[in-house]
Amino acid sequence: MIERKLIYMDAKSSKFWNIRQDGDSHTVTYGRTGSAGQSGTKSFASEALAVKDAEKLIREKLGKGYVEASDSPQDGSLPLAAFPSINHRDDLYRNAGTFVGLRVVDYDMEKPARSDVAYRFRSDWDEDQIVPALKHFLEKDAALQASAIVIGAWFGDDTEKSPGEVLDILIENSKRRPQLAAIFVGDITSEENEMSWINQTDLAPLLNAFPDLQLLRARGGTGLKFTPLQHAKLRGLALETGGMDASVLRGVCSSQFDGLEHLELWLGTEEYGATVRIEDLQPLLSGELFPNLKYLGLRNSDIADQIAAVVVNSPLVQRIETLDLSLGTLSDEGGEALLHLKDSKLKKLNLHYHYLSAEMVKRLRALPFVVDATTPSDMDTDEDFRFVAVGE
Amino acid sequence: MSGTDGRRGATLAWRERDQPLPANLDCYELDLSGYRLEGLPTDLRVASRLILDGSPRLRSLPENLKVGSLSLRNCMALEALPEGLECWFLDLSGCEHFHQWPQQAVVRNGSLILRDCRRLAALPEWLSRLANLDLAGCPQIDRVPEQLVLTGWLDLAATAITALPAQMGDTRLRWRGVRIDQRVAFQPESLTASEILQERNAELRRVKIERMGALEFAQQANAQVLDEDRDPGGPRRLLRIDLQEDEPLVGLNCRCPSTGREYLLRVPPQMKSCHQAAAWIAGFDDPSDYHPDHES
Repeated sequence: MIERKLIYMDAKSSKFWNIRQDGDSHTVTYGRTGSAGQSGTKSFASEALAVKDAEKLIREKLGKGYVEASDSPQDGSLPLAAFPSINHRDDLYRNAGTFVGLRVVDYDMEKPARSDVAYRFRSDWDEDQIVPALKHFLEKDAALQASAIVIGAWFGDDTEKSPGEVLDILIENSKRRPQLAAIFVGDITSEENEMSWINQTDLAPLLNAFPDLQLLRARGGTGLKFTPLQHAKLRGLALETGGMDASVLRGVCSSQFDGLEHLELWLGTEEYGATVRIEDLQPLLSGELFPNLKYLGLRNSDIADQIAAVVVNSPLVQRIETLDLSLGTLSDEGGEALLHLKDSKLKKLNLHYHYLSAEMVKRLRALPFVVDATTPSDMDTDEDFRFVAVGE
Repeated sequence: MSGTDGRRGATLAWRERDQPLPANLDCYELDLSGYRLEGLPTDLRVASRLILDGSPRLRSLPENLKVGSLSLRNCMALEALPEGLECWFLDLSGCEHFHQWPQQAVVRNGSLILRDCRRLAALPEWLSRLANLDLAGCPQIDRVPEQLVLTGWLDLAATAITALPAQMGDTRLRWRGVRIDQRVAFQPESLTASEILQERNAELRRVKIERMGALEFAQQANAQVLDEDRDPGGPRRLLRIDLQEDEPLVGLNCRCPSTGREYLLRVPPQMKSCHQAAAWIAGFDDPSDYHPDHES
């Protein structure tokens, strides 16, 4: 008998997929998280065929990014599957539909506040409403129960404005927000503001104000700072930039995050402020930091090939489950290096959006773990010019 | 000097370039480029990057130095590395006098850059696993250690390496940064002028011409003769070959009067005569100033 429960979460959806094979049939139940879902049963000529089909379906789902539901903790902490910022390049072009598995809803001061969604607060270019809306929400009882908050465009018509004022409101109210587990600072599409133009700020005060926070996700690299700190509960940190300054990486590597499971750094390109060199990643790759890390993402990087050649030698990679080098300029040179991972204990390698040849993709897919080597359909695979997914 | 303290993220400033470093310095990064140090304090601790590029007097480093990456580019006085050194990235580019490895050290997982370490005769046997190894311009190096695993690339331009250990058979190769295949590296005699003329990548074409030999290439490619005269070595010719998407290859074909060996010396493409080219090679911009008693 086979019984598996899988879940999937990304910027658009949060769903489950269960399968139970018994004798010569299997039953699949699937649907949106929180719903009963729908199910269908299929019968086969023999038990062996039912097992074979079930295993094929499971492989297919794992390949699409589903993960074991059993991997998600039962104590109210967020499932690790909910942590990746985006799965695929195209998710960059729309605002978050879900955040940590919760539906994202724009906060409306006219409607009663709920606690089962992630509210988003943002200003339009002609209406600076983020501060009053956030203050309004934080007065409500529902806010006491809210587990996630999404900060969208905070700048109105002044695109160079930092989120400092907005974060200060959260920080001032932090004592009254015991449930808040996840904050996303920068749910901003390129249409609203290019990633490299978004003015960020030092994120350490926010983390210091929320000692129970499990996930901090932030988009934008200009002005981004990360003063080193200690935070025992932080499980996920995702910093999305079009160009990361080495001081940000230094701040992260000098911090003490004993509970950190998910670390996602978008390194970007030199043209948009990236100063992180391969040598700067050594403290991280040495394996001496972050004893609980399960996911390492070094994404959107134009040094993806260099990273691949070194990361395969990293003691850290011997103890994590997922390595993510997606959204960068990975080519066959890096692909060849990644073949050295064949004896690692990885469960998943994410290479979505790459410049690998079809032959190299085939060799990588033969590795003994899930390999996502998909590319967006409109990707230009010109040999002479290679671009990261977000270079502006 | 500038550095960053790991715990506080503060940047240290040290303007007294000829003063000794403070005791008990413990930092995340330290940049001492151009600093006129002969050595470092034994109690210095650097977690990530230690940069000592262009330190003209640097002779020694502390034993058991452990850093993430160590950059020692163009440290002209440096001849040896200390016992017990540990790092992932080591850059000794242009350390022309460096020749002595420690008995025991660990340089692994990252890059070992030995570009133009002309005095270096061999690699240490303790090398086991690296991403990249750059030996370009190390003319005495003729082999890499048997057990070495490279997960990135090997740059072997102008070394004496003619073959790789069996387990390194599919290692990616470079020639001063240009990606090349095994044939360009190890069977240059199989290159033909027509293949080189058809090569679209200008960088790779230049490497192939270098591997084939410019003279051999000029002869096979039916170079156009721009000018002819005689010098003490015998007849000499100015040759030109047009290359797509690159400047033409123009070179002076001459013989050494003492050894009789024949050469093609590349000159700027605007050269019109053998005399003008010879003057340029000798360092004269105006050929009318060039009247040598002997040419050799």
